[in-house]
Amino acid sequence: MNFKQFRYEPLAQASYLLGCARAKEAFIVDPIANLGPDFYVLEAADLGLAVTGVLETHVHADYVSCARALAEMCGCPHYLGQAAAGVVRYDFTPVADSQVLQLGQVAVRVIATPGHTPEHVSYLITDAARGTDPWYLLTGDSLLVGDVGRPDLAVDDSGLAIMDEALRAEAQWRSIREKLLTLPDHVEVYPGHYGGSTCGGVNMSGKASSTIWFEKHHNRALAGESAQAFATFVRKTAKPFPEQYTRIKSINLGLREAERIR
Amino acid sequence: MTPREIAEALERRAVVLDLRQPRIFAAGHVPGAVSLQFNRADLAERSEMVLPKDVEYVVHAEPEPIALVAAQILRQAGFEVAGHMAGGLRTWELEGRPVERLLVVDVSELRANLDRYQVVDAREGYEYRHGHIAGAILFPSREAWMRAAALSSRRPLAVVCGDQVRSSLVASLLLRVGREAVLVAGGMSAWLERGYPLEKGVPLRV
Repeated sequence: MNFKQFRYEPLAQASYLLGCARAKEAFIVDPIANLGPDFYVLEAADLGLAVTGVLETHVHADYVSCARALAEMCGCPHYLGQAAAGVVRYDFTPVADSQVLQLGQVAVRVIATPGHTPEHVSYLITDAARGTDPWYLLTGDSLLVGDVGRPDLAVDDSGLAIMDEALRAEAQWRSIREKLLTLPDHVEVYPGHYGGSTCGGVNMSGKASSTIWFEKHHNRALAGESAQAFATFVRKTAKPFPEQYTRIKSINLGLREAERIR
Repeated sequence: MTPREIAEALERRAVVLDLRQPRIFAAGHVPGAVSLQFNRADLAERSEMVLPKDVEYVVHAEPEPIALVAAQILRQAGFEVAGHMAGGLRTWELEGRPVERLLVVDVSELRANLDRYQVVDAREGYEYRHGHIAGAILFPSREAWMRAAALSSRRPLAVVCGDQVRSSLVASLLLRVGREAVLVAGGMSAWLERGYPLEKGVPLRV
């Protein structure tokens, strides 16, 4: 299979290309408008792949997404967690927990991981060409390297603000502990953010990859014993809110005209 | 370029350069189009290796940003590019313009019916000598533009390469000169994956 991580350094954001060399097809995960749809189409074309799916882990608050524009350009589905239904103001293909998206020989399993946002999902990748065990995980803003996605950003729309911060911290704690850290130790972790990004706390590593085993043993945000201790730790180690995040979020929800923010 | 503009360009002997995936090219393309793999890193180099410069080209790639970049790369390399196809093959077909197809065989089908085809190996000599399908003739893709018309057989020509990039180019050039060509899907890597036999040694040339 093909795999490529694209780092947009000004926002410490990571987007991804997953490809099946046999099917000559690619999925793009969490594309950012600062790079733009053309960038992803050309990256896929350079590998001889056509983009056949655009996946998002959640509705982002710290950067403008180009998922809709990319999916439209490629005439392919735009996948988003089903909890975004009725909240975002555009059409998308909802994905549910345990659902599998097939990319040639590559299986992409959806794991619902609410917490950072209610509709948040992670994607677990298994490549049948290599083996039946899951190989790696795209965690979006749930489990980050050395940290976790902040649970205090769901804003600017009534639909997503249904849970208060404490409840969302608890959801994040449960999603990560019960659904991600229970995966096999060897599973690699690829986050949506790293380093200086404001979507996580101060302990986030500048290295944008890890493993389940390493995070289980060395992620300080997850070292506590209770959801309450976790919520307190996350609040204490939080960074300032992302600049313009309410405006960015409303663009990504389709409540505002999509415009490019640089 | 609109379908009408492309049709006019074809009348003055322009060549459509189709940069889509071989499988997609095979399913339907502008008649006479030449299939070539897109890649920003070496499109210029590979085009210079296999295509003449005294011909006018129309680029066909989808989606459109790929066509724009490809046209720019080719112009910089000194090719005459009239433009690119706007709206893709869909727009072409919606206007009722003709579409040509390239038949595809998979390796199991080819192996079971080897006597019905003349296998054409579009790789380089060193790859051919490493191991090829029994009875295959060596027909390197870089010579194909010049030599396509010289290749003839009573049997359909089954074109194979490592994967299906160079074979798609050669098959498209053979179609242009009226040969009955088919594309071997997955190429030699699919052949080897199934454990099918190889023959080694001196190339059979045309």
